[in-house]
Amino acid sequence: MQRKFKRQISSLSQIFSFVSEFLTSYQVDESILFSINLAIEELFTNIVKYNRTTNSDITIDITKVEEKIIAKVIDHNCDEFDVSKTQEVDITRRLEERKVGGLGLHLVKKMVDDIKYEYSNGESRITFTKNLE
Amino acid sequence: MFDVKILENNNIEFSGRLDATQTEQAEKILEQVNTSCTLDMKSLEYISSAGLGILLMHQKRLKDAGHAFRLINLNKHVRDVFMLTGFDQIFEIM
Repeated sequence: MQRKFKRQISSLSQIFSFVSEFLTSYQVDESILFSINLAIEELFTNIVKYNRTTNSDITIDITKVEEKIIAKVIDHNCDEFDVSKTQEVDITRRLEERKVGGLGLHLVKKMVDDIKYEYSNGESRITFTKNLE
Repeated sequence: MFDVKILENNNIEFSGRLDATQTEQAEKILEQVNTSCTLDMKSLEYISSAGLGILLMHQKRLKDAGHAFRLINLNKHVRDVFMLTGFDQIFEIM
C-alpha cells in the first residue's frame, strides 16, 4: 500500500491512520505497531525538517512479506543523506551533557530490525524492516 | 489525540499520543512549572523523540533551579523508549 503525504509535520495524523489502516488487517502486536509508527514519524519529520530544498510530497509505502513488515519512506528531488550511517548517540551521557535533539534516528535504528538507504537520480529511499516474530 | 492537564496538587498528567504535532501543547503547560513536580504518564500511549526533547529541556531547567521532575506510571512501550535513549538514567522514574 502506498500513499503520498504533504511535506509538513501536520501530515503525521494522516500517516498514523494510513499505517493503522494497513496493519489492522494483520492483527499485529501493539509493540510492533508502536515501533513502526515511531520509525515512520522519525524518518518523515527528519526529512521535513532537514530537506528544505523541495516542496515535493513524501511517499510512504508499507507492505507485508512473509513474517515481516517492510516500510519505505521516499523523498523526491532531494540531496543525498544516508540516515543509516549517522553517528552513534552516546546514551550514557549525564543530564548536563545531553543536548535536545538527535535521538530520532537513533531510536529508529534501535526499534527496527534492518534499515537500508538508497539514493538515485535525486530520489532518496529509506527502507526498514520489522520482523513480526 | 494528546492531552495535558495540571492536577490539583500541581502535578501534571499526559494522556494520548505525544508526537511531533503535539509538542507545543505540552510545552505550554510545562513552561508554567516552577517547582518540583510529578508527571503522571499512565494514560500516555505513545511518545517520539519530539516529546523526549521537551521533557529533557524541562528536566534541565528544573534541575538547574533546584527542583525535582519525577515521572510515574510509564507504560511498557514508553518505558522502552526511555531505556533505548538512556533517559531512564537521567530522569527519576517511579
